[in-house]
Amino acid sequence: MFRYLLRRLAFSLVALWAVASVAFFLVRAAPGGPFDGERRLPPAVEANLLAAYHLDESLPRQYVRYLGMLAEGDLGPSFRSKDFSVNELVAQGLPVSLLLGGGALLLAIGAGVAAGTWAACHRERWRDRLVALLATLSLAVPPIVVAPALVLAFAVQLRWFPAGGFESVAHLVLPVVALALPYAAAFARLARGSVAEVLARPHVLTARAKGLPMPRIVARHVLPSALLPVVSFAGPAAAALLTGSMVVEEVFSLPGLGRYFVQGALNRDYTLVTGAVIVYAGLVLALNFLADLCLARLDPRIRHA
Amino acid sequence: MDLTKRNGALGKGVLAFGLASALVCSAAELRIGNGGEPLTLDPHRYNLNLEEKILTDLFEGLTAHDAAGNIVPGAAESWSTSDDGLTWTFRLRPNARWSDGEPVTAEDFAFAFRRLLNPATAASLAYFLYAIDGAEAVNAGDAPPSRLGVAAVDSHTLRIRLREPFPFLPERLIYPTGFPVPKHVVEKHGDRWVRAGTMVTNGAYTLADWQPQAFVRLRKNPHFHAADDVRVNTVTYYPVADRNAAYNRYLAGELDIVGDFPPGEIERLERERAGQVHVAPLLSIMYLVFNTTVPPFDDVRVREALALAIDRHRLTQKVLRSGERASASFVPPIVAGYESAVAARPVDVGAARALLEAAGYGEANPLAVTLRHIAGADNKKVQVAIAAMWREIGVATQLHHAELNAHFAALRQGEFQVAQAGWFGENNPEHYLELLMSAAGDVNYGRFQLAEVDALMASAKRSAVLGERLAWLRRAEAVASAAHPVVPLYSVTTRSLVSERVGGWLPNPRNTHPVRYLRLLPPRR
Repeated sequence: MFRYLLRRLAFSLVALWAVASVAFFLVRAAPGGPFDGERRLPPAVEANLLAAYHLDESLPRQYVRYLGMLAEGDLGPSFRSKDFSVNELVAQGLPVSLLLGGGALLLAIGAGVAAGTWAACHRERWRDRLVALLATLSLAVPPIVVAPALVLAFAVQLRWFPAGGFESVAHLVLPVVALALPYAAAFARLARGSVAEVLARPHVLTARAKGLPMPRIVARHVLPSALLPVVSFAGPAAAALLTGSMVVEEVFSLPGLGRYFVQGALNRDYTLVTGAVIVYAGLVLALNFLADLCLARLDPRIRHA
Repeated sequence: MDLTKRNGALGKGVLAFGLASALVCSAAELRIGNGGEPLTLDPHRYNLNLEEKILTDLFEGLTAHDAAGNIVPGAAESWSTSDDGLTWTFRLRPNARWSDGEPVTAEDFAFAFRRLLNPATAASLAYFLYAIDGAEAVNAGDAPPSRLGVAAVDSHTLRIRLREPFPFLPERLIYPTGFPVPKHVVEKHGDRWVRAGTMVTNGAYTLADWQPQAFVRLRKNPHFHAADDVRVNTVTYYPVADRNAAYNRYLAGELDIVGDFPPGEIERLERERAGQVHVAPLLSIMYLVFNTTVPPFDDVRVREALALAIDRHRLTQKVLRSGERASASFVPPIVAGYESAVAARPVDVGAARALLEAAGYGEANPLAVTLRHIAGADNKKVQVAIAAMWREIGVATQLHHAELNAHFAALRQGEFQVAQAGWFGENNPEHYLELLMSAAGDVNYGRFQLAEVDALMASAKRSAVLGERLAWLRRAEAVASAAHPVVPLYSVTTRSLVSERVGGWLPNPRNTHPVRYLRLLPPRR
């Protein structure tokens, strides 16, 4: 097991290096630079700026310099946010994104599994169809449409929740819902399918024949085995939720990492974009690793392979 | 149905929590929606208008704006100019203090100007103060910062020497590039002085808290010389880059002031929130520029024909309809103290066709033009309308759009025939007319060059007496205008929403609203 862990760690480091290198060269290949604007700067001023950020050096030298900083855990100074380093910006933004993504994951699993199970228990009846309809709608309408609609309904009209910003738990409710909806739908479909399948198995029939009440059957005899696909989908879903919150962060003005990423890209803030990509890549690698560990625990066949 | 009933209690609980938190933040502070996240709050490194707004609350330069946008004494209580217009002497307020209680001295200003122009600071707007003697050489690294023409005569007297007369200096000192920085703090903390806790300022406010992408919170500076007149104790700037998001947060009562709103909403707002909508012309000119180095736009007849076909009033009143002011002059009509030499000419399709004919274009050989513009629905509408006007005189127009930075990059490199452009900023004609000098470089996008205009502009720049200078500028404008290097179109407007709980807001052509002049009104019953 220890050797397995070590191998995975080494692989993760190589993957991180590859991601960092691709990101490093890709952002520099984009047209325009961090100091472009409406008016070209006087040559002296431009030279001063380029020198201050070592952009006057050759690309290979910049690359080596950057890798050197990375090795020390330093993501460098932000090219555009002049008063903060990328480390500071990530430290500020990552917790917000984690809170948002984590909340959305919990909501998606909770609501999705509940709705899916409920639908499976009422198969081919109106309740099942209602869940299917809602799930299809939630999957089909993207957060960029859902989020502003939620703001108009619950912030502007009803004034139940704030329309944006991040100062209290209440500020997270609408964004979490907007982010969770499509995943809740996916979990609901998954749960409905596997619960329905397990419900048809002989041991469930036996339990029903013994006269056990339905809720008890579902809780004791159905869910434990029906939830395996849900667990294995939770890994990729978590990664997607934690790294895919840019749109929601933008609409609700949340100070998360996704917003830094988008604005860094628009502003050609090379270090910020590369830094955010590295952090995202690290998150995805860590989550995949975690998911693999969980599956290995649940399924002995994987452990011994 | 059951579901909602069961969750009613939970809903109410969350609702109460939301309301409580909204009330707690709104009672004592002014909440302003700002166009985005400030990239810096170092006055010498700033670059954006949204940073300038916050910095103007934090610092005070030698001169300042009053509530109506006029230029008034700031940290300097008075100033005088030598007869040749080259030496300016500023007397600082004896009671001016930094937010840590230290006096604001002339040496702080001299230190600040040297810091701005020091190449190591890498200030992108350092050229704002190239009017100071030696500034350009210092900024290029050709001379040490000590060579800069600024000197502290005594603790409260600052002397600035210019390279040539510049009567608009008090206006130029308004920007954060002209703000002082506390020498004793910057020398101690270096580049990390811009932090809540270490940052020391001389304006009406100090930096209380800065959470990137979340908010910038300012608190009243008790040491400010006019602190007794500052009514708002806490002001929070929220970065809201998206116009619709800002608008929704305003409607939800989370923001007291937003600087923009979706243009389609104006009629509804004027109906439902009449007292809260403020539309004001901004010091700005939107125009079309001809690339005078490529045929056929090197032919003045072609340029004049295209100019004659444009109906500005149709653009402002039928297409844009947000209070824009049509302008036949390259100097915005709201610039104070200047009467343009250029009179508006009515649209003349016949004359335009005749000019094109003389230049060799007609039915058999129609003129084809590519018009470049900045991407965006508003811009597109205007350019489509212009293309339609040009069709009237037999010109086929192809539109080509690009995102803002790419658009101006193409213009600077001269890769265009005719293009949309805009110039914003100052309340003096020179700021606009100097774009038509051959020495203006890149920003003379069309590479327009006329010796007579250059000579008249040079004469203007030599004269220290304002009236004389304006007369030269007027003559330069008349000569340049006859050559049609540009087609001035209109001045844009600013659209603000200001809550009824805010008092003291005066719309002005600079769109400057320092919080020190605002106040929070008690809620109306």
